[in-house]
Amino acid sequence: MAAQMATRTNQKHRFTITRRQWRDWGLAALFLLPTVYVLAKIFVVPIYESAVWSFYHYNLLDGTPTRFIGLRNYQEILASSDFWVAFDRTVYFTVVSVAAELVFGFFSALLLHQMFPGRTFFRAIIIIPWALLTLVNGLLWDWIYQPGFGALSVILHGLHILGPHQDPVWLGSSAGIMNFVAVADIWKMTPFMTLILLAGLQSIPGELYESAMMDGAGFWKKLRYVTIPQLMPSILVALVLRLMGAFRVYDILTVFTGDPTTSVSYLTFNYAFRYFYLGKASAMAWFSTLFILALIVVYIWALKRNADAQ
Amino acid sequence: MTRRVTWMAAAAAGLVLTVSGCGGAPPAPGGGNSGGSQKTGANANGLDWNKTSDPSLKGQTITVLWTDTNGPNGPKAKLLKQFTKETGIKVRELGVAYNNLYDKVMTAAMANTSDIDVVEMDTIWAGQYYQGHIAVDLTHVIPKQVQDGFTPSSLGSVTYQGHLMAMPWYSSTKHFYWNNKLLHEADITHPPRTWDEFRQDSLIIQKKLGPKGIYASGWSWKQAESLTCDYVGMVGAFGGQFFDKNGHPAFDKGGGLKALQFMVQLMKDKTVDPASLQWTEQDVLNAFEAGKIAMMSNWEGVFPQVNDPSQSKIVGQADVGLLPGEGNVVSASCTGSEGVAIMQNSKHKEAALAFLKWIGSREYQLAEFQQEGQYPSLKSLYNDPALKKADTSHTLAKIQAQFQYGINRPNAPGYVNWSDTLASALHSALSGQMAPDKALQKAAAKIEQAIQNENS
Repeated sequence: MAAQMATRTNQKHRFTITRRQWRDWGLAALFLLPTVYVLAKIFVVPIYESAVWSFYHYNLLDGTPTRFIGLRNYQEILASSDFWVAFDRTVYFTVVSVAAELVFGFFSALLLHQMFPGRTFFRAIIIIPWALLTLVNGLLWDWIYQPGFGALSVILHGLHILGPHQDPVWLGSSAGIMNFVAVADIWKMTPFMTLILLAGLQSIPGELYESAMMDGAGFWKKLRYVTIPQLMPSILVALVLRLMGAFRVYDILTVFTGDPTTSVSYLTFNYAFRYFYLGKASAMAWFSTLFILALIVVYIWALKRNADAQ
Repeated sequence: MTRRVTWMAAAAAGLVLTVSGCGGAPPAPGGGNSGGSQKTGANANGLDWNKTSDPSLKGQTITVLWTDTNGPNGPKAKLLKQFTKETGIKVRELGVAYNNLYDKVMTAAMANTSDIDVVEMDTIWAGQYYQGHIAVDLTHVIPKQVQDGFTPSSLGSVTYQGHLMAMPWYSSTKHFYWNNKLLHEADITHPPRTWDEFRQDSLIIQKKLGPKGIYASGWSWKQAESLTCDYVGMVGAFGGQFFDKNGHPAFDKGGGLKALQFMVQLMKDKTVDPASLQWTEQDVLNAFEAGKIAMMSNWEGVFPQVNDPSQSKIVGQADVGLLPGEGNVVSASCTGSEGVAIMQNSKHKEAALAFLKWIGSREYQLAEFQQEGQYPSLKSLYNDPALKKADTSHTLAKIQAQFQYGINRPNAPGYVNWSDTLASALHSALSGQMAPDKALQKAAAKIEQAIQNENS
């Protein structure tokens, strides 16, 4: 009983806010307010407004009156073949590019984790593709994919994989473009995966490998039973970040094609800033946001369940 | 305690949202202007053509947003200084690349800012500038006799449903260019006058010069506006139309269908450089000046680059003329004429009008032709000895001839959306993924649906 009373007294004491604390809080709030205001104006208000606009017919340039239409924008998007084509292509691009980046990034990280001459140099230059602007990367690969004089065609002709009269138009179809965009994205973003996983690898205690070796584990068993489980938190972070990034693919596509159905973000941008159908664009943006959030929640839940099971 | 903190956080968030001016419901379109019809007439806009020399305008500063990537020492910037010298009105130039222009104009309009007074207007934006209340309606501001001084095609390019939305700035269409040397090597004595002739010549050129890696023609048929432009010209040449008299899409039949079938046939003939499906106009020009294609369609301003030995392998070999026609149609070409408009939110409208007046003057239009090769919108200048003297490439008459056969793209507010839909269908057909008739029917149905949505 006495112990309970003491605890309550402690809690009461802990939760009693003194005048001085109020003053400190007030001062802290005063200092924070300008930043909070700017962040609210830049981030919170547009998010809130876009949520409201998604329930309105709000076409900026066609002279039609703005009016509340409930869920009609969402219904029209879900009934739009363009949206589903864009969605399928985005999912395809996201899965292919992120999976390849994870695999390549993992093995690159393993390689750069080893001791060999010039390791620091290679660790430094691997950042270069990642440091390139996405648009510059797009222009670079656009040149590589040019029919005739583009590097890809020249190399394939040189290797006699393409006949002298064969001159494929690599970016000729929107469906095919997704593969070439994925290659460009893998080239650029694999270093990102590598760096995150390399940091994770460096934090794995050496004793675990020593124990595994004493138990007779070879390279693959160490990889399976030590490296991958220990690296899982880094993999999770890298995957979630890349999934979100890849699903928003936009700028590189504008270099390769004028077809907005190559990604949901491209289509949303066109609805918002080419056609100025701001209500429908807001609904589309919210659909994407909710989809990404759902994806992340499911993924984290799955990983947590996996960790709990272990 | 946790509850109290939650309430405090919620209250703070609410306060911040309120203070941030988050009203929720979207504002009326047009940068805060109330909906309804555009204000028209001199009085409604407070603009008077005869008061552009008013001394009170001296010292005012106007901001002009247009395409100019040459910086403060470029030819346009020098011309602007001349305007300030003559009128006392200062000009702050926002020069951007063409591809950034539309976004910047629309962002300024959405932000309801009065920072920008004068903006460039491409022909396809006239409907949006009117219906979206972006620009001032100049129909009753610029006197009729002044309007009559411009070429009909340049005036039509800045007009939407009878509303003059900008001062005609320059004239532009696509033209037909060919490489005389390559045609001569293929034993072709004159450039084709009809599309049928073009196809026959293309087959001959391909047969004779194909083994050297040369294609008969190259096109800007990337899925983009450049593809729609070429198609619009072809539709005109084959006697088709974009919309019927009731405003319904009509390009999926008659001349419109024939035009696409012809374009697909050229691809099937393998006389078109296949990279055309990935090219815009600049890529086509690059191939042309590299001597890789014998014929092309492109805008004006090609000759300085084509005849520059540091950039071109075909110096002195290129010529220009009318794009081919078909049947009774002598020629048809997509127009690209542009204008300059006054923003609705401008606080210096009269000074901006003085600027527009200057843009439409002989003095400016001649100087711009001399310095940048931009073709005038003023009719009288085409007979002006000073302009003829400035025509160093001796192509003025040929370029001017094509202006007589210009076909405007629809400039209704929904055009950008329709054009994207159409370009997708055209590209599907050209890349062999869809039959021309099916592709056009699909595009027509989608555009019809878009029109209905806009009207509902």
